[in-house]
Amino acid sequence: MRFVWLAAVLWSSLLLAGSPEQDLNVNTRYTVESVELAGDNAGISTGLRGELTRLVGEKLNPAALDDLAKRIRHELHVRAVTHRLLRGQTPEHVRVVFDVRGTPAKFEASVPKLVYLSDGGLSGVVEGTATVGSHAFTFGVVSDGDDLAERYSGILARYEDKRLAGDRVRFRLDFESYREQWNPATVNALNQPGAASDTSGLYRTRQNIEPLVTFVLTRGAPGTLNLTVGASLESFQPQFPAARTESANAMVTTLGYHRRLEGSNANQQEVDAGYSLRAATSSLGSDFAYARHQADFQYAYIWGRSQIVDAVTAGEITGRAPLFERFMLGNSTMLRGWNRFDLDPLGGDRVMHNSLEYRYRIFDVFYDSGAIWDQGQTAVLRHSLGVGVRQNGLYAALAFPIKEGHIEPVFMVGMNY
Amino acid sequence: MAQAKPSRDRKVAEISRRRWLLAGAAIPLSRLWAFDRLTVTWDGDDLHVAAPELHFLAGKPLDRLKDGAAVVFLTQLTLTTDNFATSLRRAPERFVFSYDLWEEKFSVTKLGAGQRTISHLSAAAAEAWCLDNVAISSTGLPPDRPFWLRFDLRAAEPRDEAAVIGESGLNLTRLIEMFSRRPRDEQPQWTAEAGPLRLGGLKRLLGRTARTS
Repeated sequence: MRFVWLAAVLWSSLLLAGSPEQDLNVNTRYTVESVELAGDNAGISTGLRGELTRLVGEKLNPAALDDLAKRIRHELHVRAVTHRLLRGQTPEHVRVVFDVRGTPAKFEASVPKLVYLSDGGLSGVVEGTATVGSHAFTFGVVSDGDDLAERYSGILARYEDKRLAGDRVRFRLDFESYREQWNPATVNALNQPGAASDTSGLYRTRQNIEPLVTFVLTRGAPGTLNLTVGASLESFQPQFPAARTESANAMVTTLGYHRRLEGSNANQQEVDAGYSLRAATSSLGSDFAYARHQADFQYAYIWGRSQIVDAVTAGEITGRAPLFERFMLGNSTMLRGWNRFDLDPLGGDRVMHNSLEYRYRIFDVFYDSGAIWDQGQTAVLRHSLGVGVRQNGLYAALAFPIKEGHIEPVFMVGMNY
Repeated sequence: MAQAKPSRDRKVAEISRRRWLLAGAAIPLSRLWAFDRLTVTWDGDDLHVAAPELHFLAGKPLDRLKDGAAVVFLTQLTLTTDNFATSLRRAPERFVFSYDLWEEKFSVTKLGAGQRTISHLSAAAAEAWCLDNVAISSTGLPPDRPFWLRFDLRAAEPRDEAAVIGESGLNLTRLIEMFSRRPRDEQPQWTAEAGPLRLGGLKRLLGRTARTS
């Protein structure tokens, strides 16, 4: 019985004992009036904010402040979080200020796109990004035979300042340098009479420098509306004659909108809309004069484990644009199942496409329809159907073009595309 | 403000080239500040020091105190009879300072056996109280034997403070080990030496009791 009492006394003394500093810091007799966070603290969880708020009205506890500073640092992944005290507005009260200092340099490797198409081979982008505070430096390697009429392979580098002027203005500078490979169908199509008047000839290398500034016009409840303006300074070396360099310098304007609506019963709706204009004129030192318009709209409705997504794309090019600006269908995202070189090996200056998908858990069924054509031609609407499985960014699908005669499905597998 | 003055040379001829090189390498790496006068008194049992020119409540430690944090200072008295070739005895101590934000006065706690606290002090008074509570035993030291005394004072690293405060039984070896570490760049340290001295030649304090354990 004596030991039970002894244990109880020891235990209660441990419970009642404060931290060592608790008794040694003369300010522990004061009451916390407010808790403030200085510095970039947007990422703090609601739970931790609640704990900070609960300090108000309590006697100052330096050990608790030390612990919270550690947890803030851990949550925000920043270099240091310190705390200091200031006199409060009322006597015998103190204000606690947590100073959040700088994000540490971090490095991330990512694969923004990796896809294999049974009729197009492997395409991929691998990037490494070093982030120091709001500055991000990216270097990547690319080999893509999926997006355009050409297969372009090379390097990309990017600098981003996500807080150029507060958190509403961002800056981005892209540099790309590629070497091109051409499908025989494209080479043959360019040799046809009149083809050269629609677009550029073949080129062996291509470089692009693209400075862009993004303004966040709205965010929060009404949705996020971004306006991006900048320039694309693209130069490329034609295959014949090799010594010459041509330019396609364009002003770039993009308007993007995103909104998520949380409904009852865990239903969600997401709306994404965008419009981009690339306008190249001789006044920018461009050898090509054209205007490329593209509008995108996507609506997603999610309920339970089901999701329905509809995405519409429409585009038009006026003037004579180089091959890399022309629209393509029959790739891994649009009019899947069709071979883009069968549809139009040079791409088109008009495009219209719709993709309707139904997803249940990991399963995916889609119906694509679209047309690609040139000005003055008649648009031919084509359709495809497919099934796939999607899990954690990985995707595998089998797409069937709907057409008369022999149907050869396209198998595609990849991630993040 | 702390007095950042060059340390007083004892005998230049005794300082070897190696010592000069070591000093040249170490001083820029640390915030080692020397102060001129270290007054030594004796109460019959213990040796006491006073340094009116030493003002260590300054710089970063003072900034931290004004931000409401508690700052730990470590002191060490070293007694030697061979001009610091070996040490006869060491007496390290820990003091916790804090600054009352509303009263704008300092509070000091001497940790360890017989822990005691004093508050409502000015900066100079808090510094003086700290030194007043530092002593080293003179037991076994003949009155006519020459000896030297060194006083070191260092602000503990914020990351070490919890360990320094928390270990109620922080032992002598641990404190000496802390002092033997080279101070980090941002860690201020003050040091002063006195000697050769003789107990018989020291001013004898009356009415002062021995405080070393």
